[in-house]
Amino acid sequence: MGKEIFYFLIFPGLLFSGVVGGFLSWFDRKITAKVQFRQGPPLLQTLYDFVKLLNKETILPEKGSRFTFMVAPIFAVFGAAISAVLILLPLLNIETGFAGDLIVIVYLLNIPSLTYIIGAVASANPLASVGASREMKLILSYEVPFLLVLTSIIIKANMTIKLDEIISYQVQNGAFIGSLSGIIGFIVALLCIQAKLGLVPFDIAEGEGEICDGITIEFSGSTYAMVNLAKYIMLFILPALVVGLFFGGLNFANINILWSILKVVLVVLLLTLIRNTNPRVRIDQAMKFFWIWMNLFAIVSVVLAIFGL
Amino acid sequence: MINLHYLIGLPIIIGIVLFIIPEMLKLLKGIVTVIITIITLYFSITTFQLDNELARLVCFTFPSLTKFMDFQIDYLSKLIVLFIGAFGFLFSLYSLSYHNRKNDLTNFYSYFLITLGAAFGAVLADNLIIFVTFWGVLGLTLYKLIKGNDEESSSAAKKTLIIIGASDSLLIMGIGIVWMLTGTFNISEISLSTTGALPNIAFLFLLIGALTKAGAVPFHTWVPDYVKSAPASSSAFLPASLDKLLGIYLLARIIMNMFRLTEWATLVLMIIGGITIIAAVMMALIQHNYKKLLGYHAVSQVGYMVTGLALGTPLGIAAGLFHMVNNALYKSGLFLTAGSVEKQTGENEIDRLGGLSKAMPVTFIAALVFAFSISGIPPFNGFSSKWMIYQGIIDFGKGSGIANNLWVIWLVMAVFGSALTLASFIKLIAGVYLGRQNPKLKKVKEVNFLMWFPQLIIAIICVGFGIFAANLVVPFFFERITGKFDYIGIWKSQSVTILILVSIVIGYLIYLWGNMKKHRVSDSFIGGEKIQEETEFSALEFYKTIRTYKLLSFFYDKAEKKRFDLYNIFKAIVLWFNSLFSKAHNGFLPRYIFWYIAGMLILMIVLVF
Repeated sequence: MGKEIFYFLIFPGLLFSGVVGGFLSWFDRKITAKVQFRQGPPLLQTLYDFVKLLNKETILPEKGSRFTFMVAPIFAVFGAAISAVLILLPLLNIETGFAGDLIVIVYLLNIPSLTYIIGAVASANPLASVGASREMKLILSYEVPFLLVLTSIIIKANMTIKLDEIISYQVQNGAFIGSLSGIIGFIVALLCIQAKLGLVPFDIAEGEGEICDGITIEFSGSTYAMVNLAKYIMLFILPALVVGLFFGGLNFANINILWSILKVVLVVLLLTLIRNTNPRVRIDQAMKFFWIWMNLFAIVSVVLAIFGL
Repeated sequence: MINLHYLIGLPIIIGIVLFIIPEMLKLLKGIVTVIITIITLYFSITTFQLDNELARLVCFTFPSLTKFMDFQIDYLSKLIVLFIGAFGFLFSLYSLSYHNRKNDLTNFYSYFLITLGAAFGAVLADNLIIFVTFWGVLGLTLYKLIKGNDEESSSAAKKTLIIIGASDSLLIMGIGIVWMLTGTFNISEISLSTTGALPNIAFLFLLIGALTKAGAVPFHTWVPDYVKSAPASSSAFLPASLDKLLGIYLLARIIMNMFRLTEWATLVLMIIGGITIIAAVMMALIQHNYKKLLGYHAVSQVGYMVTGLALGTPLGIAAGLFHMVNNALYKSGLFLTAGSVEKQTGENEIDRLGGLSKAMPVTFIAALVFAFSISGIPPFNGFSSKWMIYQGIIDFGKGSGIANNLWVIWLVMAVFGSALTLASFIKLIAGVYLGRQNPKLKKVKEVNFLMWFPQLIIAIICVGFGIFAANLVVPFFFERITGKFDYIGIWKSQSVTILILVSIVIGYLIYLWGNMKKHRVSDSFIGGEKIQEETEFSALEFYKTIRTYKLLSFFYDKAEKKRFDLYNIFKAIVLWFNSLFSKAHNGFLPRYIFWYIAGMLILMIVLVF
């Protein structure tokens, strides 16, 4: 049990993925700044933000359920950290009982979004409710294409749903990105992750310009620090999951470490570039995009995977 | 078999005796009912510990009937008996406080006890004649457990009786065909293959009987209407728990004991399962009544059980049965919370409720647990059984049949249905318990012990079944029915639960580390403007976008006009024939003289040639 708590709290869970996620968040902001011809934040900016938020005064909602509102961010961090454990252990090739069941990962990855929604509606703020309803609709949109991509992976990896077996299959037979269905699946998965992370063009639930950060509008001080922590972790583990599914996982032995870091950074770079070159879409446009186009792509990927392409 | 007498005979006899006691002494009737349910609970537990056997009850009054009195005590029936016993006790406790008003349902407790006894009888019976007798009684008590004194509830009661009655008659025909083919009425002796016309018809008829009781598409339409106007205790007792247990029990018997399925039969079942999941939950998404929303979910969840059982593998069947038990738990719990809210506020419409989490904390927590369970959030019980079903589907995909090759479709339907379930429960929780409090509900208080205790117990069982699913609950209850099986995935629910506790502690520490003591309470920020009391984004607006999509709105419009309701379709056909025949009987003399002459002519023609 002590081992599992270590995995969860220190490595590769809360602390490790939080720190790496913080650096990735800095990377994301730095690239954004470069795209916009700005200087960008210093390397430790995310840490400064986090500590500053913790020391800020916290404002709690007067109406609504304060208890639920305060518990929600804790569960957001839990959901992110436990997903980090289940995704990163197989990725780093650490032999444990946690082999990373894909179905479980899909469900756990939804927990942070779910807790933002619960926290938002518990705050009794109408703008937060608008954000919550958009976030839920976004989940409904990307759930099916994301699952279809996973089924194409499952088919390619001889019907196994364990992440470590999927990775070892790729190590033996070449990464899935090398096949046609893998490329299509990667595009779909990347856009689903964009929506999962709530990045532009799918930052509809936050919608800074129209609903003042919507779903997170009422979070402040310590509660907002926790929400941000969950977001940092998600910014690391979702690209890491994609790396595991399409690029054959990570390898930290000798020189491979550079290559592994590059893989994750590459995925984050793609996400950042997408977010810097696109305007925000409306929720109905996003739903149509995922339900029609992304599903179509994902189905093509599944069919190709069935024919072994 | 003394247990069987107590389980089946006692509740029915006491139920009949209670008809004599006047309604004035409702409390006395209630207490008697609680005592009886405690006795049946005790005997259902002792029955669970019995060895498997085929028991024959001696019928003293009619000795010649003894040869029909075969009762099957095996792992499946023992499991269902145990849960019926537990639900009977919890709901009778709840009803004690829920049904204390005057002008309430008359003879509620009598029908409650008769239902209980008949349910035990139906589950334990091995002889199909005995089985169908108890089964029919359950249809009748279902009809009597709804008030029926206003137009809406009486039409719902009528609809229920007609649909259930029609399906029961098909069931009887199916049993007749089975007897014709095998020459026996005993379930344990029947083994048919679904090849050839007659076995297929029998299979179909029995299937309709089971699915109507459980409430699967397209035979589901009685469920939402019934639960909307029935008292919450009736809804929790029959459509939410007992009807699910019984309907799926019959389905399991059909699949496991009576018939060997061909791949086409499997395909039909998988299609029914998938469509049930999606269609019903899509309807639930747009509901604005607490109970009716739950009613559609009561239908949607059946899809998972049918899917699980249809897989036919030990993993699939265990998953389906586990989901049946889980669903009975959280769904009946949800109906109890609906009843509590209704009792304290007098309201069922979501837009007139709101912000009840402070006033009714226990009900809120229970409702939250049930909502997360039904939406399959780890580590609650709904997740465990859904996870088993998904694994079952993927495992099933390795096989080579028509249904096997389409496994991706079943998997997507099941997972997407789960996401939609979550969406509609977010709406429910946001609309009823969270959000801004409706000013009219300022004085609302928590329900009393008798009402919150059953909710809490069921919520605790939901959490417990989730946490101890893979290594305690499933081996103890379900693996014994289906035989051992291997999971293809890994889900360590206990470790995760401990990590949840750890993260709560860590979260608390981070809050302490942060500047949480210096917090301030303030009303909602809406961009700097002062918020008005009425400013609200109603939870009912959440999914309006989905309702307006072209293809979906086409189906929604049709569904709201009840175009997909088999009951309405048949009603239209019958009424059309009625109007056709009534044209012949319009009450005018010349028309009758015309029939008279025409008849004479036809007679003459027949006689001449």
